[in-house]
Amino acid sequence: MGRELLLSLEGVGRRYGFRGPWILRGVDLAVAPGALIRVEGANGTGKSTLLRVLAGIDAPTEGRMSGRPRTAYVPERFPAALPFTAAEYLTHLGAVHGLDRPAAARAADDWLERFGAAEYARTPMAQLSKGSSQKVAVAQALLAEPELLVLDEAWSGLDADAREELERVVVERTAAGAGVVFVDHDPRRLTGVPDATYAVVEGGLNLRTSTGTSGDVGVGPAVVVEARGPSGAQVPDDVVKLAADVEETGGGSHRFSVAEAGSDALLRALLGARPPWHVVSVGPSWLGPGPAESPEPEATSERDAESAPGMTSELEVERS
Amino acid sequence: MTALLRYQAALLLRSQRWLPPVILYAAFLAIGVQSGQPVLDSLGYTAAALLPVAAWLVRICATNEPPAARSCTGAAAGPGRAHLACLLVAFSAAALLGAAAVLFVTVISAPKSTDHQTRIEAVPAAGAGLLVALVCALLGVAVGTLTNWPLLRSPGRAVPALLLGALLTLVLAGSPARAAVTSLVEGSQHATIPVPVLPLAAAALLTAAAIAVACALTTRRSP
Repeated sequence: MGRELLLSLEGVGRRYGFRGPWILRGVDLAVAPGALIRVEGANGTGKSTLLRVLAGIDAPTEGRMSGRPRTAYVPERFPAALPFTAAEYLTHLGAVHGLDRPAAARAADDWLERFGAAEYARTPMAQLSKGSSQKVAVAQALLAEPELLVLDEAWSGLDADAREELERVVVERTAAGAGVVFVDHDPRRLTGVPDATYAVVEGGLNLRTSTGTSGDVGVGPAVVVEARGPSGAQVPDDVVKLAADVEETGGGSHRFSVAEAGSDALLRALLGARPPWHVVSVGPSWLGPGPAESPEPEATSERDAESAPGMTSELEVERS
Repeated sequence: MTALLRYQAALLLRSQRWLPPVILYAAFLAIGVQSGQPVLDSLGYTAAALLPVAAWLVRICATNEPPAARSCTGAAAGPGRAHLACLLVAFSAAALLGAAAVLFVTVISAPKSTDHQTRIEAVPAAGAGLLVALVCALLGVAVGTLTNWPLLRSPGRAVPALLLGALLTLVLAGSPARAAVTSLVEGSQHATIPVPVLPLAAAALLTAAAIAVACALTTRRSP
């Protein structure tokens, strides 16, 4: 991509104490701007330790780590034992993240509202349910638009709406150029969106899948967006990155397939482009073989031909 | 850093865990200091009693934030800086408490030497008392820093180590705290007001070293 890496690990190992067993050993990992990385592994294999090293909370015992982007971290379980209301805590943390206090207070209210916890803003943290506490933890990480977002099972305990919202936010952050690294026990989490999936096995890191762009792999609900650009305009880079498939339909129109979690970010990128694109239609679809069996699109673009054929199918869009 | 300090100070104030050490300190003073006693003797006692209280305040600040919340703060600001802010807030609380106690004790004490023969000016005496209290606050913070997370994690070890550390720092020969308190007591006997610059410099160096070690270890110990 030619852009500088946010963070890279070279031969990183981590153990606790002088003679403790190695929890991580020989880990190489690079996080580029806009990268979405999933880390898998059985319980106790060192996933959390890897995330703590990435977040800068744990220093590697050996190896090299370079780059320290503005980082936010969401732990799996967030304790309510803090003597603040949710809004007070978030305002403090927003200021710690580098916002001035009025901006931090505004961001706190905005993010609580986005995760459906606005009514708890003035509730003491000690009285919050587990799910509401987790929403505060997630909001804390998003207040100041971090360059690197590290999510350690951040979805656990959230209600369905908040889980979907967090998926959308993750795609949004990567579209804005932030790196996101996450662990989640649910294999369907952000299906098809991650750029790379790694597995922690016996302390080492194995690359499971990798794609040049987001969303070429995977199965799941998708959205087809048809949009027309200004005459002669190229498809914006961030749109190409978000879309699982881009197809030129003639007359300056393009048809984009995108994983459902990324549809908002794609629309935002299209409408926010300079000059903006005109959205002609938006419809439901399905990525990969799935319930919505539909024929392959007839006209495949050059880019589609490069990626694995047969991985993407889409519904015909109703056109007047 | 300002945001971190505000956050840690709010945590300390809101948690109300500062109340027990403040009450303990007030009890120390109520037992050991009575109005009309020679001022430098009373100030020596006031400063010495501040040392364990400062160590306790560090323990409160270092354990106030649950580990998961500490991870969030650490990711945002760097764990070392987050811990530095926590220790600075504990030190400020101890220094404030000590300053208030020194002023109060100076006001109620007799401006006399131990034998009640020579007059001792209240203002320079309070200045000397503040310096000695500062020495004790610094060393109390050093003891608290070295006996809590990230160096000692289990309360079963941390609390006895803290108590023992505070006691030894007060009584061991060569300790700047003992030297400073002794200089006040001897000053009272000889009717001179000491200026314990050397113990203050030593205490500042020792405490800075302790804080540097603790902050460097924040990323190396398990949560």
